[in-house]
Amino acid sequence: MFNPETLIRKGLPKGHFKDVAARSFLGGITYLVVAIAVLLFVKIIIDGAPVLFKPEAPFVDLDFLTSKNETLHVFDDAQGNRHQLPAAAYSQYISQHGSATLFNEQTYSYSGGGIAGPIAGTALLTIGSMILALFFGVSAAIYLSEYAKQSPFIHAIRLAILNLAGIPSIVFGLFGFSVFVLAVPVITSTPSDRSLLTIPLLIGNYFLSFQGWNSSLMAGCATLACMILPVIITASEESLRAVPQGFRDASLAMGATRWQTIRKCVLPFSLPGILTSSLLAITRVAGETAPIMFTAAVAAKDDLPWQGLKSPFDILSSQVQALPYHIYTLAARIPSSEFTQRAQYGSVFVFLLLVAFLSLGSMILRAKLRSKLKW
Amino acid sequence: MGIVGTSAVLIFLSDRQSHPTKHLAEMPHEDPHPPEPVHRFQKQGFSYENAIKFFFASNAGLTIVILALIIIFLLKEGLGFFPGYQRELEVYRIAGLEFVDISRKNLTAHEQITSVLNRTYYAEINGKCAHQMRRSQEASALFNAYSDLTAPTRDLIVSNSQPDSSPSPEMIASLRTNFEKQKSKALATLPPTPHLTPEERQALIESIRSRAFDATDDPPLVASLTTEFAEAREKQVKPLEALRTTIDTFESAGSELSSLVSELTESVTATKEKIQDADILEKDRKTLLAAASSAEDPIEREKLVSEAQASLAQKPDIEGPIRILMERRPACIAAHQSLKNAAATVSSQLPNTLTQPEASRLLKVAHNLWPLFLADLEKTPQKITDWNHLKPVALSTAISSFITGKDWVTGGEWQDFYGILPLAAGSLMISIVALTLAIPSGIGAAIYVNQFASKREQSLIKPVIEFIQAIPSVVLGFIGILIFGTILRDLSLMDSLSWIPGFPIEERLNIFTAGCLLALMSIPTIFSLAEDAINNVPSAYAEAAEALGASRVQTTFRVIIPAAFSGILAAVLLGFGRVIGETMVVLLVAGNRIKIPDFTSGLGTFFQPCHTLTGIIAQELGEVPLGSVHYRALFIVGILLFAVVLIINATAHRFVNRMKQ
Repeated sequence: MFNPETLIRKGLPKGHFKDVAARSFLGGITYLVVAIAVLLFVKIIIDGAPVLFKPEAPFVDLDFLTSKNETLHVFDDAQGNRHQLPAAAYSQYISQHGSATLFNEQTYSYSGGGIAGPIAGTALLTIGSMILALFFGVSAAIYLSEYAKQSPFIHAIRLAILNLAGIPSIVFGLFGFSVFVLAVPVITSTPSDRSLLTIPLLIGNYFLSFQGWNSSLMAGCATLACMILPVIITASEESLRAVPQGFRDASLAMGATRWQTIRKCVLPFSLPGILTSSLLAITRVAGETAPIMFTAAVAAKDDLPWQGLKSPFDILSSQVQALPYHIYTLAARIPSSEFTQRAQYGSVFVFLLLVAFLSLGSMILRAKLRSKLKW
Repeated sequence: MGIVGTSAVLIFLSDRQSHPTKHLAEMPHEDPHPPEPVHRFQKQGFSYENAIKFFFASNAGLTIVILALIIIFLLKEGLGFFPGYQRELEVYRIAGLEFVDISRKNLTAHEQITSVLNRTYYAEINGKCAHQMRRSQEASALFNAYSDLTAPTRDLIVSNSQPDSSPSPEMIASLRTNFEKQKSKALATLPPTPHLTPEERQALIESIRSRAFDATDDPPLVASLTTEFAEAREKQVKPLEALRTTIDTFESAGSELSSLVSELTESVTATKEKIQDADILEKDRKTLLAAASSAEDPIEREKLVSEAQASLAQKPDIEGPIRILMERRPACIAAHQSLKNAAATVSSQLPNTLTQPEASRLLKVAHNLWPLFLADLEKTPQKITDWNHLKPVALSTAISSFITGKDWVTGGEWQDFYGILPLAAGSLMISIVALTLAIPSGIGAAIYVNQFASKREQSLIKPVIEFIQAIPSVVLGFIGILIFGTILRDLSLMDSLSWIPGFPIEERLNIFTAGCLLALMSIPTIFSLAEDAINNVPSAYAEAAEALGASRVQTTFRVIIPAAFSGILAAVLLGFGRVIGETMVVLLVAGNRIKIPDFTSGLGTFFQPCHTLTGIIAQELGEVPLGSVHYRALFIVGILLFAVVLIINATAHRFVNRMKQ
């Protein structure tokens, strides 16, 4: 590393120690951050993995993922054995053994059963909002990258995207609550008192009433879509712009129209990029709690979202459980004890696994894409 | 979609000139071939192609619409707050609550000083016999840990063994075995006792193990340590008698004012209720009249109007109660006078220092509070004489009392106050902690990864930090509440760390816990933006520096960092924006106590719980009635957040643009 002759004459260069010190200090900070992050994951994996996995075949315990969320009953029987049963199994036990032989009974809300309801709710919310956001976002990105020229309108759109991207999620919650829950129009025969504006329709006895969708899957999806829209637009525009200009020129030169060019020569090549970056957007949508607290989520629900409906469309106007809100409930509303830990760490572990899976997928896809698409 | 359409149409019109089909339609005359007949729609610009463009443009315009809707609806729900709050403050004044609050404020200050003095006194005594106190506390803690675990079963057995109950013998037996199980489990998980000798601990555990089942007295060691502690305290009480008397004198000096305040409180609350009832009736009447004016059927209208007339509220009698209030003025002033005299004497009698550091610190706090308290008392008689219930409350008063209000009190019986300061202070304190931790580590990591790390290190560090960004905030909050908070509390209980101000912490969830987690959350933002900024510095800079003989560190810190400075600043600002807008972590971890942190405890302030701007919205919006003043106050908080974050982002982007140039 050093010229031996110089070393003998002058010793180590003066700057060397400073160099090493600065480098190791910065390296120390960096690895400290990495170590803290890894420690957190390890802690959650250690506490959460036993809920989902078991030592003997088939190694995965799907019960936690596929059963509904229930209240947990903990009690001793006459032989002094401790039982932990979710509500349904508990009432079965009571009907078999009678309630006289139970001692030390304690109940823990939300801690029994599994998390099928929250998972289903989060899946529905994510799918709904991603469909909306991708539709509007990709269209907007196409306009920005393929049609737009310098104009005040474009400037305003870019400013709006920039500002939307910075708005705190709780403000989106307020927005979603005041707009989608309380103000958007619905067609109904019985307008509510708090309707902002009621317009009688000529068909039948129906009104177009600006009274909102109440707290529902629909309102939650719309709020989340608004929140994620700037992310989708920015990412999609980047992917569209990555397609070489030559593709478009060639297509236009062959006499194709603008739309044909976009459809055949731009979109197919940018689609993988768009989908990859929307995987990351999914992790954000799935993880947000604040926007859905007042617009869609409910702490406890007996049925899965698609059960007990009169018509399939009712699913849109019903409240759902959601995984992040469920974790909030578990962390904030019930005191932690040895009996609640299964639900708590299990939910967090499943959630983190989901997020890790999605972001890992996005990372791998992105790397693959980079090596594959080189114009 | 209406607005989208309009704005898109505008664009569509402005962009039309440049469209190819339009050019085609306007081809110059020298074209040898006659132009093909153009479809009528196409001539007007409504071609298939243009329709598609219009569709995309309207989707892009949707972003503007969403932003506009956010602003419009926040303002729509929020702006009604100020008139509503103005009316509430008006009632507060007319009913005389404000008058009572003048005295009540001094009473609270008096209570606060008394409690500080009492804490000083006990800190002095306990500090002098700290050893005995710790030993006694540890022994009791150990015994309590055992009894907490076994008490439920024990109680069950005792209640079943009563002569009048007739339990089955096998049940008693099973309970007994259960008890033994729990007992051995409890004995295996006893808390540590660093100040007891191992022999003492062993003896204590033995005595617990061999304890009679239904014994109610303490184990001998616990009892003897308690007596020992009590005796040690007894010895310390003597020399401090003078201080005790002084504190007691001061404490009793407030009793006159206190009884006066509680007497007045009752009467003004009754007046306030009357006024509020009248307000409600008045509102009903207006609704009825409005319904009447829109009713088409004359009979219906007549009915509604007469109903409105009937409900016409009698103006509540305010003057009577106010007169009674005014009559109590001299008594109020006299009570303040006597309190002031007592306070002045007591402050001169207090010692300046005490032997224990904690006691001295608290005494200093008390001494610092004193001048303020006396000055307040000085001004009070004037305030009481000047107070007038008919003085109007201006809208600006409502606005200024929102911005500078030190209380956020809601749902109380006395009076709701919406002051933003405690929430803003909480948000700011948490941000300070988070940024103090996140700026060095985020930027340091960015410099390291970009300048010093090898390719392999980069491919390890970057994904981990990116993954931190992907962790949902509610999961971080969960980690804070269940893991980090507990670790922090256990750390703060260790003797070797007691030199840190604020340790041992009172609350597991506090500003510091929340700040740490938010730091973890904002590190990825700061890291990736700062790394981008450093990466964007032209390589020629570094090459030139190295050619001049600068070492790697010199190049980095004297050339690259200054060149990337505005980009790094933007990264920090965006990190700040993320921290201040974060909801779930602070809602779960900040402790949710709505109070301006007590800055008298120095750095220990950071270990107090607080509440935040974002947290209050998330916590209270679900519970407030739609359209109430409280509901609107939450929207105003939302507007404030929105504005703050917009300003931060705008500044950050200005820095980014400067960097690009």
